[in-house]
Amino acid sequence: MTTTDRLPAAAPAGRTAPRGTRRRASVRTAERRWGLLLAAPATLHTLLWIGVPIVVAFVLSFTAYDIIHTPEFAGLDNYATILGDGLFWRSVLHNVIIAAIGIPVSMFLALVLAVMLNRAVPGRGIFRVMVFLPHITATVAVAMIWLWIYNPSENGLLNIVLGVVGIGPLPFLTNPDLALGSVILVTIWQGIGLKMLIYLAALQGVDGQLYEAADLDGAGVVQKFRHVTVPMLRPATFFILITSLIGNFQTFDLIYILTEGGPANSTSVVTYRIYQTAFQEFRVGLANAQSVVLLLILVVLAFLSRRIVGGTDGD
Amino acid sequence: MATDTLSPRTPAAPAARPPRSTSLRRQKRLASGGVLAVLIIASLLMAAPFLWMALSSIRDPTELAKVPMPLIPQDLRLENYTEALSRAPFGIYARNSLILATAAAVLNVVFGSACGYALAKMRFPLAPAVFGWMVACIMIPFYATVIPVFLMVRHMPLFGGNTILGAGGTGWIDTWWALIVPGAISPFMVFLFRQFYVATPTELIEAARLDGVSEFGIYTRIVTPLIKPGLLTVALLSFEAGWNNFLWPLLVTTSDSLRVIQVGISSFRQEAATDWHLLMAGTTLAAVPMIILFLVFQRYFVEGFAASGIK
Repeated sequence: MTTTDRLPAAAPAGRTAPRGTRRRASVRTAERRWGLLLAAPATLHTLLWIGVPIVVAFVLSFTAYDIIHTPEFAGLDNYATILGDGLFWRSVLHNVIIAAIGIPVSMFLALVLAVMLNRAVPGRGIFRVMVFLPHITATVAVAMIWLWIYNPSENGLLNIVLGVVGIGPLPFLTNPDLALGSVILVTIWQGIGLKMLIYLAALQGVDGQLYEAADLDGAGVVQKFRHVTVPMLRPATFFILITSLIGNFQTFDLIYILTEGGPANSTSVVTYRIYQTAFQEFRVGLANAQSVVLLLILVVLAFLSRRIVGGTDGD
Repeated sequence: MATDTLSPRTPAAPAARPPRSTSLRRQKRLASGGVLAVLIIASLLMAAPFLWMALSSIRDPTELAKVPMPLIPQDLRLENYTEALSRAPFGIYARNSLILATAAAVLNVVFGSACGYALAKMRFPLAPAVFGWMVACIMIPFYATVIPVFLMVRHMPLFGGNTILGAGGTGWIDTWWALIVPGAISPFMVFLFRQFYVATPTELIEAARLDGVSEFGIYTRIVTPLIKPGLLTVALLSFEAGWNNFLWPLLVTTSDSLRVIQVGISSFRQEAATDWHLLMAGTTLAAVPMIILFLVFQRYFVEGFAASGIK
């Protein structure tokens, strides 16, 4: 519609060239203006609600602040406190343990499931949904369900199952030796779905000819898995590892509902510790220093895992 | 179905060697059977906690005290749900979550797509800086900034009894502003939109410009209709994040009338203590809407999640 309106005006006989240039220039101006305008809301919003808070967190980490009184400059006191804070480092250690056990196990299970689902299995879609459901469900709801499954009485589902083989009943979440393991089991269960999905997407990009070549070389199922599938999935593996590590250090809802960091702090994690420091002990300056340490840990992790897995193709 | 994988190979193995071909086929079929069995067991294990939740939510409370408790409830007791609803205002919680999740979906689609489109298709000053900033933001976990964001909300000037300097009152605490505004635009959604827009043909934009369509018109009427599935993906992912959000609503709301369902469940836990039939009924109410939404829009969720990796 606009075409017929504008075209004659834009191209009057004889003066096409200068007119065209001018118009192109005005198009460029409009593009620049609209580009800025369209990008502005999201950019300003993230500057205000992510950029400013990061700076504030950094600044407050050098203060003593209890929310009620004005913050007072405290130099490196908070960082010194963190260095000597056994509970904080224990919480970091718990994150590391959850990651070190939970991530490899769920990645392996996810990979096996993805490879199985990558073939023409009847009911593929249903299997995929069932494996993925824990990821889509709110962690609060997930934690409530497992709280009931882990019920220490003979009526907890897990104790019913263990009762069949004559074990238990076990106090999964109230025994300091069992609690962290119980938490890890839930993270594995909830973590498989997304990892499987990413592996599945990556598998669909693997060239089928590679398998045919391996077949010709007489490779067995296990050999093909080790020498074709695993190397081809390296970028996906890196991606899953890094996002799982970052996700792991953000575990909060699960701990809040399942154990509140207990018993005897045996399941406290970094985010839960920060939450307690800020919103239960009101040591806001210290909590911000802890947040800065969390951020540093994540940066180091991102760097390290890039080294370990050897990075993606882009390296 | 399972034999489909065989078909390309069968012609290659001529009738000259029938014994090997049949044994190979049998092997393959056996392997498929094994795979199927493993998949069935694995997916049942994955689904078992949900089944247990559903079964427990319709269980007669007297069964909960029985040892051994029958695995399958003796009768279907839907009264658990009405009782749970009468003990805690789950209707209000669900409404609040719905408002929060819908707002997140709408705001992310509107502002995320605008920024994503500009980054993908327009040349403007600062574009590389804006893109770099968005990517950096994705890396920053919410938990690293949550305390300052909380303080900013609490000291919002001229709200909740605050002075112009943000002192004296409670700011946005316990208001819809606090629930919706700080998390309204997710940098990840901007990034996702950029990816969707990058895949659209640039020639179309150039042609539209020649036709004199305004830049805003090109964005809204020409290019955006091409990424309708992408819009749905972002809307669904944002909705899911809003519905499942816990820590932020926990921190900034105190009154029952603003409580969202995940926080509601958490507080109901104190209230219902060991009434697991009620707790599981409440949990079912919190979990089922997302499950249904996922089942209906599976394809779009999968596309978004495969690109995200972070919950």
